Amino acid sequence: MSQSTELSTSSLPLRKVIPWVELGLLATSLILPVFADDFWTLFLTRVFILGLLALSFDLVWGYAGILSFSQALFFGMAGYCTALLATEAGITSVLVLLPVAGLVGLIVSLILAFIVILGRRVPTTVFVALGTLTGSYVVERLARGWSYVGGQNGIPSLPRLTLGNHEIAEGVWFYYMALAILLGIYVALKFLTRSQLGLVLAGIRQHETRITFFGYRVQHVKGIVFALAGLIAGLAGGMYAFHEGYVGPGQLSPVLSTQVVLYVLFGGVGTLIGAVIGAGMIEYLSFMLSQEYQRLWPIILGLLLLVIVMFRPTGLIGFLVSDRERIGSFGRPDDAAAKNDTDKNPA
Amino acid sequence: MNNDDRSSRPLSASRRLFLQRTSLLTGMIALGGGSYLYNPKGVWAAAPIKVGIATDLTGAISWGGIPNSQVAKMVIDQINKGGGLLGRPLQMILEDTATNEQLAVTKVRKLVTQDKVDVVFGGITSSMRNAIKDTIVNRGKTLYIYPQLYEGKECTPYLFCTGPTPAQQCDTLIPWLIKNGGKKFYLPSADYVWPHTLNAYARKAIVKNGGEVIGEEYFPVDHNEYSATVNKIMSSGVNVVFNTTIPPGVAAFFKQLYEAGFLKNGGRLSCVYYDENAITITPPHEVEGLASCLDYFRAINDPFGNQLQAEYGKLFGNTSYNAGSGSTGMYRGIKLWEAAVKEAKSVNREPVAAALDHAKISDGPGGGCEMVPGTRHVKMNMYTAVSKGGKYEIVEKSKGPVMPGECA
Repeated sequence: MSQSTELSTSSLPLRKVIPWVELGLLATSLILPVFADDFWTLFLTRVFILGLLALSFDLVWGYAGILSFSQALFFGMAGYCTALLATEAGITSVLVLLPVAGLVGLIVSLILAFIVILGRRVPTTVFVALGTLTGSYVVERLARGWSYVGGQNGIPSLPRLTLGNHEIAEGVWFYYMALAILLGIYVALKFLTRSQLGLVLAGIRQHETRITFFGYRVQHVKGIVFALAGLIAGLAGGMYAFHEGYVGPGQLSPVLSTQVVLYVLFGGVGTLIGAVIGAGMIEYLSFMLSQEYQRLWPIILGLLLLVIVMFRPTGLIGFLVSDRERIGSFGRPDDAAAKNDTDKNPA
Repeated sequence: MNNDDRSSRPLSASRRLFLQRTSLLTGMIALGGGSYLYNPKGVWAAAPIKVGIATDLTGAISWGGIPNSQVAKMVIDQINKGGGLLGRPLQMILEDTATNEQLAVTKVRKLVTQDKVDVVFGGITSSMRNAIKDTIVNRGKTLYIYPQLYEGKECTPYLFCTGPTPAQQCDTLIPWLIKNGGKKFYLPSADYVWPHTLNAYARKAIVKNGGEVIGEEYFPVDHNEYSATVNKIMSSGVNVVFNTTIPPGVAAFFKQLYEAGFLKNGGRLSCVYYDENAITITPPHEVEGLASCLDYFRAINDPFGNQLQAEYGKLFGNTSYNAGSGSTGMYRGIKLWEAAVKEAKSVNREPVAAALDHAKISDGPGGGCEMVPGTRHVKMNMYTAVSKGGKYEIVEKSKGPVMPGECA
């Protein structure tokens, strides 16, 4: 960080917006179940879980520059595995199922990482995108054809998660559990992306070759991040299956993977909070639009997404925060503010 | 839609409050609340009975969902014109499940937890029914009626199925096919649950009636190249092709089979989901003589069916009312439920389910029908029809209602 002090040209105080957005959303989320009716509590629980999935994509795409179309694959595989544990082995304890969900996501993403990221040649973004897309397409096909996991029909009527003798019914209990997990993962990712590893990731995103020449094993770093994102997606998938009471091939389809990409693009790439906002907004908009325009809503939603992505490539979060804050800063706060100011070529 | 219109719709206060709060707190752009509600005409003193319809208005299955929602609207309007139920009007609340099981759970949740509907009708595919049934029946403690013909084996309490089952589609058709086609069957199929389960039943029926199955083959659902299969069919002297491949691939299959000379050599085609709408996807000469077995055809030409057709056509721009999309099951489902509510004198789940268990209607598409007690499935008349020049001709009517053969 020694160069950054030399480059210091500005002394404008950086007004941070993101912490306020984060605090505002957290405070709102904490008190909402008190005011909102049951439906909206359930709705938001689902948004939290999908937000977690969006976070996992934001981590790989927004920070490590891996265009992954397989987040739903980890999500769905974890959903299927935990659903089978519950229906076949009768295990419903949240203390078993959620760690297993994360583990499944981790293992599946590691396997995929070995194939598409850690090969001998350095893979291009397009190669990784197509590789992950193919992977999730293949698994979806297999799931649709495999009668043991219900084929096209999936596994219905899952039992509820339990904690000791207590059943975690969807509603307020599940809401706070999902919120707590989302918050935990969010804070952890916040630290991670601001750590030395985060700095390397930012470097990879901006100029991969240069980071390689610095002596970093870029592919290894990418593999680690990919697996970590797989773990998060798996965790989300396990929660999702039990919240919805059902798991089916749609949960691991490339369609859902693409939807996750949209969440993150819509909310704002590489900001973490943007991913969560994007997931919430798209779910909210699609629900509201479908109430008003029953047959046209997918077209309206599509146009809206297109407009945002075309005219606000930084996503919704771009309306609120400056590029300088969005991209973030490293090192000591005073240095960081100065360094970012000179960064004329943001991602 | 203007503002007056919107404000006249019933909207729960808590939701409106919620909307205001969220838009204030998070700066979300509230695009306006309000469900797509069909308000009964006129002024009613009593609170309406809420009927939730959850079906695929958009996406791949909208060809079935849109007619389904139209039938529901027509029947509910008819009931309201006739004075409602228990002196209360029916209010239809329609939700689009968008051929997307993930989205559907939320939509159904809205019906059950927010609108607090008294009954839910809907779902076309089995995967949709599977995705939403737990939310409705177990978690939502609400009655659920599923209208589409399907593979059977759905025995969840409080879930009633009003479409034909494999037994109903095979029991009269298979003997007819053996008599009017031949003994050697080939079963080309799409690879998903319905064809597998239907074929298992059909195979039993074929063997029982003295026929034999030469081959049973499964293709990916979007398959459209069948030359190897057509060769096998042509070379092994198959008499009857009992098809469960699905659109769009099915059109290619029938074409390739026709061009290979299967029909010219006296082969018989059969496809049990082929209704008067499906038959238009292929040129008539390619499906000449195709035999289907459904609970209703326009060709039955009975006074009740004709009146239903006329009314449906008048309301929905000259479209016709067909069996394949679950439209018959939807009609039957609502009328059976109406009968059950009348008998139970309540809309609560327990008494209605108890009455629905033996509910009966004297008129409906294809004739009257009744629930088989303890099975939550309907026994109904079945018709075997054969395509002639792109139109169906009824060749056989079941002797009385056919048993569903499920959940006994």
